[in-house]
Amino acid sequence: MTPLLAIAAASLRRVLRDRTALFFILVLPVVLMVIVGAVASGGQDFRIGVVERDTSAAAGALVKELADTPGLDVSRYRDAASLEISVARSDLDAGVVIPAGFGSAIRTGKPVVLQLMAEQANSTQQAAALRVRSVVASEGARVQAALFASRYGGSYAENEARARSLQIRTAAVGVVPETVKTTAATLPAGYEYSAPTELVLFVFLTAVASGATIVETRRLGMFERMSSAPVAPGTIILGSALTYVSIALVQSIILVAVGSLVFGVSWGDPLGAGALLLLWSLVGGSAGMVAGTLFRTPEQASAIGPVVGIALAMLGGCMWPLSIVSPTMREIGHVTPQAWAVDAWTALLARHATLTGIGGELGVLALFATLFFALSTIRLRASVSGSPFRRHASTRAVRP
Amino acid sequence: MLQVGRQESSGYVLECEGLAKSFGDRRAVEGVGFRIAPGEIYGLLGPNGAGKTTTMKMICGLLRPDRGSITIAGRQAIGNIDVRGLVGYVPQDVALYPDLSARENLQFIGRLYRLDRRTLAERVAEALALTELTERAGDRLDAYSGGMRRRLNIAAGLLNHPRLLILDEPTVGVDPQSRHAILERVQAFGRDGLAVVYTTHYMEEAERVCDRVGIIDHGRLIAEGTRRELVAELGEHDSIELEASGNLDRLAEVCRSVPGVSTAAAADHSVQIVTEDGRSILPAVLEAADRSGCAVTSVDVTEPDLEAVFLHLTGTALRE
Repeated sequence: MTPLLAIAAASLRRVLRDRTALFFILVLPVVLMVIVGAVASGGQDFRIGVVERDTSAAAGALVKELADTPGLDVSRYRDAASLEISVARSDLDAGVVIPAGFGSAIRTGKPVVLQLMAEQANSTQQAAALRVRSVVASEGARVQAALFASRYGGSYAENEARARSLQIRTAAVGVVPETVKTTAATLPAGYEYSAPTELVLFVFLTAVASGATIVETRRLGMFERMSSAPVAPGTIILGSALTYVSIALVQSIILVAVGSLVFGVSWGDPLGAGALLLLWSLVGGSAGMVAGTLFRTPEQASAIGPVVGIALAMLGGCMWPLSIVSPTMREIGHVTPQAWAVDAWTALLARHATLTGIGGELGVLALFATLFFALSTIRLRASVSGSPFRRHASTRAVRP
Repeated sequence: MLQVGRQESSGYVLECEGLAKSFGDRRAVEGVGFRIAPGEIYGLLGPNGAGKTTTMKMICGLLRPDRGSITIAGRQAIGNIDVRGLVGYVPQDVALYPDLSARENLQFIGRLYRLDRRTLAERVAEALALTELTERAGDRLDAYSGGMRRRLNIAAGLLNHPRLLILDEPTVGVDPQSRHAILERVQAFGRDGLAVVYTTHYMEEAERVCDRVGIIDHGRLIAEGTRRELVAELGEHDSIELEASGNLDRLAEVCRSVPGVSTAAAADHSVQIVTEDGRSILPAVLEAADRSGCAVTSVDVTEPDLEAVFLHLTGTALRE
């Protein structure tokens, strides 16, 4: 085994023996991926509030139709005022008020107006309102059919029931959703949001926290020990970097595998995703090396590293899409490598970009990795080439 | 500078000349030079901050000297990574991974020296046996006592079968039993033909294990030689105090006739003898006392030690 591999293997062995580190590297990211994915995908049903001012069967049938419609979660409200407040607070995605006399009006073919509440600027509420309209339209078509049939015989109730049964027996027009080229600036909801952002967050976080191991290696005098052997400083630095880049890469691959196999996440163009994973591992590994040379104690690295990692993740759009923050904050966010990585994942997952389509983001990430490696090399070289980097005993002499 | 015990340059394992190193404005080492022959244990004595560790690090290749030259086994060492394979370095603090076992640590260090698999296995077993840690080889280091870690730290410096072994204060913080074991091992290294540089600020250790001593202070080598040579340069003598009963004047007179005794004088219950070398003439003195008819009840030999030499040369106590 060459000294390079020996250095990497020894560090890797130490990490694999550290159960706490393994928990943070492997278990916690998957757990958080599940939680955030579930939260992000849990809001698929539109919450609809209904006020029934009419007690007719027709009003009841409309409410039942709304409640039975997949994707709508219906709750009843006593009055329109409280319904409006709930819509305004976004406790509801839309509100429907069924006016008094609704049943008798539609039986006699008179126009009737349903009040539908939704904020104009709220895209979710507008989508919910659209869904309600489609249910009302469907119900209206049945009413019209029953009214029309009643002119030629039979009661309205009989014809309405017949129209309903015909409506059910008529083969529905199948709709297969197909994603088209979009200019979406955010990742899709659900696990396709949580998986890539958790990956970006945790690979970096783990790498920065693993700087503690480098600090400890430095403090133990192991870099000195290695340097006293016939091993070039560059080999020592590369061997150390290899460990942390490997850990970041393995962690990325595990998260991608769990995302794909367990949560059905599609990671987009394989070449683009592979290049992004590799570059992000290089960014994470090199950032860990920087942390290892900047912090004085392992405790500092363990305490400050994750805080810095989470702060950068927040700025970089791992916690929420940068499309919802102000343009200034978006620009500040792009000072972090996380923002470029999330942009690249967004391009791959939401816009189905290929390797060339994320070339710009990959280039910036490569620059970050180069910068971090250069900085850590300068700092570590000072350490391994023997400048008084380590803590030494007191140099005080006593004069009698 | 006192310069005693010079040897020919040929055959030296280590030759340092005019070494100098500064950190910013602070001169850590200035003009240090010495040579060490195979099998010789050379003690580098000095208080903390005197420049011992900086000198060691320059020899190991961990620091590049600002000036001077270092030759190891006839090869120029500065900037020559390959020469490091001839040197075994035992740093002051235990430099091993606490969460790896002794065997894993030694295997890792052996691989740094590019030992092939078979040689590595042999050397690791040898090092473990040497330090009597074979039975605990699979235990993690954080389960070891301080003394065991120190011993392993030394073993790690021997894996490459060095020509020159550098021991930087290897007994600091070690219990007396482990210290004794370490010092015996160091003496054995010398007998095995290994050249050893040994830094310490424990004077009795230097006196016990070192063939020659260099005294370093404020970055300069201010004296060098065997203990006896250094003491002789100081101009001080050994003294022997004989506590005895009987005619003490007669006893003093007989002692004065022993070759090597400078003076002998009777006091209340003892005779005070001044000599060049107390240990070597002690049997003759006791024989003379027997001839005088006095009954000797106790003997105390006092020798000027390196502590006195150091104090004389630097005006500073060696130990804090």
